[in-house]
Amino acid sequence: MSPLPQLLCSALSMAARTPPARRTLRKVLIANRGEIAVRVLRALRELGLESAVIYSDADRASLAVRLADEAYRIGPPPSTDSYLRGEAIVELALDVGADAIHPGYGFLSENAAFARLCRERGVVFIGPPPAAMAAMGSKIESRRLMIDAGVPVVPGGRDPLADLAAAEAAAAEVGYPLMIKASAGGGGKGMRLVTRPEELAAAFRAARSEAKASFGDGSVYVERYVERPRHVEIQVLGDAHGHVLSLGERECSLQRRHQKVIEEAPSPAVDDDLRQRMGAAAVRAAEAVGYANAGTVEFLLAPDGAFYFLEMNTRLQVEHPVTELVTGIDLVIAQLRVARGETLEEILGERIAGGRVHPRGHAIEARLYAEDPYRNFAPSPGRIEHLRLPEGPGVRNDCGVYEGAEVPIYYDPMLAKLIVWGGDREHAIRRLERALDELRVEGIETTTRLYRQILRDADFRAGRLDIGMLDRKLQDGTWGRPEPAADDLPLIAAVIAHAERQATRTAIPAADDGARARWRTVARREAVGGGPG
Amino acid sequence: MKLIARCNGREVAVEVEKRLHGYQLKIGDAAYDVDVAVPRPAEPGGLTIKSLLIDGRHHEAAVRPLAEGRYRVSAGGSTEMVELLDPLAVLAEQAAGGAKAGKRLITAYMPGVVKRVLVAAGDAVRRGQGLAVLEAMKMENEIEAEADGTVAKVLVKDGQAVEGGDPLFEIE
Repeated sequence: MSPLPQLLCSALSMAARTPPARRTLRKVLIANRGEIAVRVLRALRELGLESAVIYSDADRASLAVRLADEAYRIGPPPSTDSYLRGEAIVELALDVGADAIHPGYGFLSENAAFARLCRERGVVFIGPPPAAMAAMGSKIESRRLMIDAGVPVVPGGRDPLADLAAAEAAAAEVGYPLMIKASAGGGGKGMRLVTRPEELAAAFRAARSEAKASFGDGSVYVERYVERPRHVEIQVLGDAHGHVLSLGERECSLQRRHQKVIEEAPSPAVDDDLRQRMGAAAVRAAEAVGYANAGTVEFLLAPDGAFYFLEMNTRLQVEHPVTELVTGIDLVIAQLRVARGETLEEILGERIAGGRVHPRGHAIEARLYAEDPYRNFAPSPGRIEHLRLPEGPGVRNDCGVYEGAEVPIYYDPMLAKLIVWGGDREHAIRRLERALDELRVEGIETTTRLYRQILRDADFRAGRLDIGMLDRKLQDGTWGRPEPAADDLPLIAAVIAHAERQATRTAIPAADDGARARWRTVARREAVGGGPG
Repeated sequence: MKLIARCNGREVAVEVEKRLHGYQLKIGDAAYDVDVAVPRPAEPGGLTIKSLLIDGRHHEAAVRPLAEGRYRVSAGGSTEMVELLDPLAVLAEQAAGGAKAGKRLITAYMPGVVKRVLVAAGDAVRRGQGLAVLEAMKMENEIEAEADGTVAKVLVKDGQAVEGGDPLFEIE
């Protein structure tokens, strides 16, 4: 048993020092932009708290600014000059009398130094204790902490292997299939997949020389290779009194280059037994670092049901709404109430009767990006000339834009999230298809066409997902650019537009006035006379 | 009104007549009665949303006029460029050009700035060859020739800002 690492000690002592006192929040500063700023300010309003947002010059006319009680300029468009100015943001919070800062996701949300700065200046940071953020922020450190806490990690280790004998010993321990990876690695260089012991010697030599050539450092290590894994994550919620609870899982396997695009809850691969085991592991992970507030423990889930800790996101996730829809828990309101010092029991009430949260129905989220999925996701900035958002039963849109808004070139291209709820997975899928049919965005490219293809896919419909699926199906053309419309519809629309333009151009103003006057007379007469029967 | 329409490499004769509630169209051999309503009228030169009833089936199309006679149409989940020409102009073009039929416009697929024009009028180009570098959101993308041919006209210059759908080159 290794001694408790430094970080864990500080996490525990920090948690012990934090008084579980009740705090009154009156005004909260939102240190973010886009849809998440809107999401947070909705929660503030529902709790009766005042909202203030920061904005960069590119976001002066944003939806968040237009909906907030107060808005303050933080700098020019680039994030480093605006949304990442930690010092200035804390100063601003003090100036405008905000008691707390909600960081949203991205930007400063996982910056332990920023959380510490807030605490030093007496502003509540709505998130976990800084020490918990720091502990989970380091891949190597968090892996060590997880092993000590009994949370499963991918077998293997980063310890460099001295020679082939050491590699053979490590391989026997890790099991096959395994990956040999370069210690200094990245970008797939110095990586070898080994499926059988006979291949180990050759792969070990090849990986070493490739690592040496690529990084000037030939040290390599072995790790169990998880074939076609899913990305399944557990939402946890902790209060400031030492209680942590699992709120169930989200399936987030549909990713392109590690960016999630469609998420759902519950996971089609998780039954109640696995849910309990993953939930218990996630709670152990959170408790190991003295976690409080909302957080997410990410796991790789292997086809055989084994799961391995990936990392913990110490903030609200983009995809939090799917959990909200199947649990009935508003996570942002929960975050704010945790920050006020309330207990999980007070916040969740009957929903945690028996200490467990059971998912009800099925929820799916589709992230709407301003990107062209068929041009390698090239960004598509510009003005949203027309926007019709889907509505109706079971549809929620968390949107950060409006018709006429400019999509700035400086930030993440995510515009909105469509989230649907259905009684079961099939209904949720049909509902999302219906919602995507109603959605209309003109003026910029979006990822909606790709999503229609995904939702129709037989593997997706059957719940057969893995983290390589999206890239694979894009590459092999399964989800390629749809064929151009074979029907006459585009021609019909263009010809009518053309005829209408020609008509307005050739109209003579005087005659037109006369015609209009006559037309009005006729119309009035018809109106007075009443319509048919 | 009689027109020649070009879309997706197809060229077809079109006739359009105004009717009480819309238009009657002939596109090649097909005839359509189209009832039109405009739930979102255009700003001058801007996008219109058209609600089209064709034999009782409803379709919605977003139409944006580009250069003279050119339209970008989004309908049924895809976006197409449509070019509408006066039949007399097409005849004159064919008479003058003789063998030069088969001109194609290369258009910008996204808004951006033309970083560099890579070819000049008269250059022979091969399919896939880069014609210009277009920059948007700090990403450079090459506009490629869609087929072998000769550059007839260069319609843009270095540093010029373009909208999606704007013509960049004419290739024969």
